[in-house]
Amino acid sequence: MKGILKIFLKYYLKYITKIVLFIHRPIIIAVAGSTNKPFVKQEIKRVLSGLGIDCRANPKNFNTEIGLPLSVLYLPSGFNSYKKWITAIINAPKIIFQKHFPKYLVLSLGSSDPGDMEYLLTIVNPRVVIITDITQRHLEGFDGIDGLFSEYIYLINTLKKRDTLIINHDIIRFDLLVKDCMAKTITYGIENKADYYASKLEKSAQGQYITVDVGGTTRQYKLERFGQHHVYSLLIGLIIKDYARQQIIKTNQEFSQSEP
Amino acid sequence: MSQRTKNLRLSIIKQIELRAAKYPDSISLAQGIPSFDTPESIKRRVELALKRGVVAKYSLSPGLPELRELIELQLQKDNMFYDWEKEIIVTAGSIEGITATILAITDPGDEIIIPEPTYTSYHEVIILSGCKPVFVPLNEDKGWALELDKYEKAITDKTRAIFYCNPNNPTGTIYNKEQLLSLAELAKKHDLYIITDEVYKDFLYNNEKIFSLAEIPELRKRIIRIYGFSKAYAMTGWRVGYVHSDESVIKEIIKVHDSLVTCAPVISQYAAMGALEMGESDVSAFNIEYAKRRDLICKRLDRLSRFFSYIRPESAYYVFPKILRDFTEQKNSAIPDSWEYALALLEKTHVAVVPGSAFGPNGEGHIRLSFGRKPEDINEAFDRFENNLI
Repeated sequence: MKGILKIFLKYYLKYITKIVLFIHRPIIIAVAGSTNKPFVKQEIKRVLSGLGIDCRANPKNFNTEIGLPLSVLYLPSGFNSYKKWITAIINAPKIIFQKHFPKYLVLSLGSSDPGDMEYLLTIVNPRVVIITDITQRHLEGFDGIDGLFSEYIYLINTLKKRDTLIINHDIIRFDLLVKDCMAKTITYGIENKADYYASKLEKSAQGQYITVDVGGTTRQYKLERFGQHHVYSLLIGLIIKDYARQQIIKTNQEFSQSEP
Repeated sequence: MSQRTKNLRLSIIKQIELRAAKYPDSISLAQGIPSFDTPESIKRRVELALKRGVVAKYSLSPGLPELRELIELQLQKDNMFYDWEKEIIVTAGSIEGITATILAITDPGDEIIIPEPTYTSYHEVIILSGCKPVFVPLNEDKGWALELDKYEKAITDKTRAIFYCNPNNPTGTIYNKEQLLSLAELAKKHDLYIITDEVYKDFLYNNEKIFSLAEIPELRKRIIRIYGFSKAYAMTGWRVGYVHSDESVIKEIIKVHDSLVTCAPVISQYAAMGALEMGESDVSAFNIEYAKRRDLICKRLDRLSRFFSYIRPESAYYVFPKILRDFTEQKNSAIPDSWEYALALLEKTHVAVVPGSAFGPNGEGHIRLSFGRKPEDINEAFDRFENNLI
């Protein structure tokens, strides 16, 4: 029974999600990688909300065949409760007719078996892909690290020229990942010099102080959080901030050109 | 046998349980075990991990990275900011975290101050570490409050830490922010660590948020906070918890943790992930149920007001009544010995309770009753008390 329900949910939620995305057309920012996804999503949401942009990032790490649609539809998981799943099934189509839908959706994409990424990309079509890090975590479904890298290479190579790849320059095999990427690529890093490069990391009881270099211009930041992953999140947030601003300018230009 | 174990006691709670096991109809209000089973969603998470074949190997010594990320996120919700990579260790239950902490921050002969009555095993862990527990009594008349002047007096050159449980076991009371900040000032003044065991922090019956000193960034090098999944998620048998503090402290604790257990059981780490990912609604449901049981046990105690007085618990699932009147043979005894009292109670009613002396000298004259048990057990236990006491 559970197996049948799972298959039903998988396809039901997938097609409802595709209709919802077709109707509402949000800009999808996909966060992929082995670590740091929840913190990156938090930071992106903070940055976009700060710009007054309507954005949604599911705090839960829903990134699988059922989790991803739930994230888009912003529905809770039924977990082991049939009753809760029935509620989700009833509520899902209502999202199609929802008047208000966020302009940006920040979603996690995860891969624990070969082909996962390909399947998830049949549901969503991200305009921005962020690669946080690729480690040996979640390697059990693959023959080796090469298999896991193939998943991320597949994701990167599906990006079109108009899209943006934001990638950690400190990842091992960075060159392999971006080799055939057609999208605009923006790098960030701490160990390797990148487009958005953090250095002079200092820790105090209050948090961390970081110097960020973007195109030769440096600026100091203070983070009230601890750990290198928050520095990476900060850099991604800065990139997204610049990206969103450019999108706003572009939209305004298109709007003014379309006026008689 | 070694000198190290000479002064260790077998837990009084276990002793009582062993004695209670002799009576087939016994009811235990002694052990602090939730009556609930581990939530289904957590078990499902474990099943998936088993099927994927990811539980057979050691994890990294500090724990699975994905679990530590979830712990960092959970701490954020409680206004505490710690780096999952360097400042959080997943432990084999909170007691292993406590042991590793004490071994890391003390040398033999050091003293650790414990407000009491408090959890029995602290005493044993401190003794095992070659240190001396220094009991400082809580003030029952002020709702089992910390009184700062008593701590100032208890501090010596050998004092290394103040170690408390908040919400407190066995009293079910919560130390307020003002009391804790005063304690922190004292710790700063005398350069002491503060170990805070917050295993019951999820059970709050007055809708108040518990304050933790780990929320204060300036104190992060002094505060070592312990948490266990056992109570909140009905996972006592899984033995999984965590400890967090500043990187400078954690890098020492991890050495001991690695020596003691290598890593927390990986299967239990997946259960803990399930708890953090999906267990929130279960914790809320448990909280509602325990609040009802708290009301029930207080109502039943009120009917025995000639025999017991008590402070209404605000948290945890214990009430710690004071014995007002003896019902044993020692009718003239003004303050009954709690051990004798508990044994007599067990013999007469076949209900197991924990003598207050198990929780420190100041616990004498009290018994601990757990309302983690089912309401029918609580009612049956109190029916037996009433039949025998009145």
